[in-house]
Order: sequence, then C-alpha cells, then structure tokens
Amino acid sequence: MDAKKDAKMMERRGFFKMVGLGAVAGAATLASAPGDAEANAAPDGNASGYRETELVKKYYELAKF
Amino acid sequence: MTAQAVQIESEDQLRADAYGLLARLLCDAPERDLLNLTAEIEGDDSPLGLALSALAEAAGSVTDEAVSEEYNALFIGVSGGELNPYCSYYLTGFAYEKPLAKLRHEMDELGIARRENVKEPEDHMASLCEIMAGLITGAFGAPADLETQQRFFDRHMAPWARMFFEDLETADSARFYKPVGVVGRLFVEIETTAFEMAA
Repeated sequence: MDAKKDAKMMERRGFFKMVGLGAVAGAATLASAPGDAEANAAPDGNASGYRETELVKKYYELAKF
Repeated sequence: MTAQAVQIESEDQLRADAYGLLARLLCDAPERDLLNLTAEIEGDDSPLGLALSALAEAAGSVTDEAVSEEYNALFIGVSGGELNPYCSYYLTGFAYEKPLAKLRHEMDELGIARRENVKEPEDHMASLCEIMAGLITGAFGAPADLETQQRFFDRHMAPWARMFFEDLETADSARFYKPVGVVGRLFVEIETTAFEMAA
C-alpha cells in the first residue's frame, strides 16, 4: 500500500518536472515578497485563533468604496 | 510553527509559487517591482513554459499606467469590469450565494479568516489562489496534506477557475492579462491532472 502511494507520488513529481513548472522558481521571490501571506501570517494565539489571509486584506483595503 | 520551519517538497514549493504569482497579479494591478520580477521568468518550451515566457515579455513591456487601466477595465470599471473575479458571482450571477457560503464554512474549518473590519466577500480568485499557496506552504499553520489541498481545490476552484482564466485570456480589454489567463488556465489543468494522479 505504501509502496503504491510512493510510486504515485514519484509519478506526480515527474509530471511537475515535465510540464515546465520549474520556471516559476523565478517567481519564488514574488511569493515570499514583503506584504504577502507567509511573511505576515497572523501570530499564533490571536483572539479568534484564525490565520488571516494577507491578499484578502490587501484587496479589501483597495476595494473599499 | 512558522512556515520557514517546515520542509515541503520542491515541486510543492513551485506550486505554491505559481499560486502566489497568480494571486499577486490578480489582487490588484501589479506595481513596477512585481512587473520587473515577472519579466525575469524564463520558461522552457513546454506549453506552460511558453506561456510564462509570454507573460514575462508582457511584464517587461507594459507601462504602469497601461496595466493599471487594463486592470480597472477588466475587474473594476465604473459599472463593473469586464469580468467578475468572485466565485459566487461567476457561477450564480449573485455575490452572496451558496459558493461563498461553502467557502466560508471551509475556511472556518481550516482556521482561516479574513480580517475583521473588511466586508468584501472572500471568494475572489486572488484570495483562493492565496489560500491554496498557504495550504501548501503552511502559512496558515502546518502544511495541509494533499487530500486537504485537493478538497479545497475541487470545491472552490475546479468549478470555475478554468473558465475564469479562459475568459481572461479572451477578454476584449486583456493585453497584459492575456498571458496571465493562459498561465492560469494551463496551471489549473496541471493541478487537476496532478491531483488525479495522487488519488
């Protein structure tokens, strides 16, 4: 069962290599740029216990009419 | 636990990068920094690679003013943009229908929330992409397993993401956003296939 799962994951990994996704590695800087979700994840133990989504925040700020 | 402390597979990091890039290009008209970084992407000769190269070229040649006008025409407009980037509206024609209710329920279960003082709905394509990226990297706690990622994708992106990106690709106002649409569509197709492979 585990071997079967491993084989599937290997196949999946190979698939991602084949489809040209590697080019977005250049975009890694984008995903981790200041102001993004990972960099600004809400601290553990905020009042509601929720993590807030940064882009949603940003979008909402801009979208206020 | 912080995202930095967690190890994820390299292809998962690439997936998160792709979602992150789409999220940032869709949440607002990209600023010069983002355009400059996007212009540096070098795709290979796969369909996605070619689309990424086309996106890079568009990012390198568009002016700040043009991209801002285009974003406005596509997504905001005086009486609404050419495309509505919200899932509920896209699927039902109304902003606060079932797709949004389901998303809110799921976000609740995953422990993800929008900020308290905002009133706009959560089902913008940019926020769905951001949530996918966060589930993969662990921005909302520990990285979500593939089943959880797939469940979120199947429920909240699969019903409309391909259609949305295809419409973006062919929208009258789309210039810079045309290759964004192609990249988005191809990436959604890749994700769909890859989830099926793991199932």
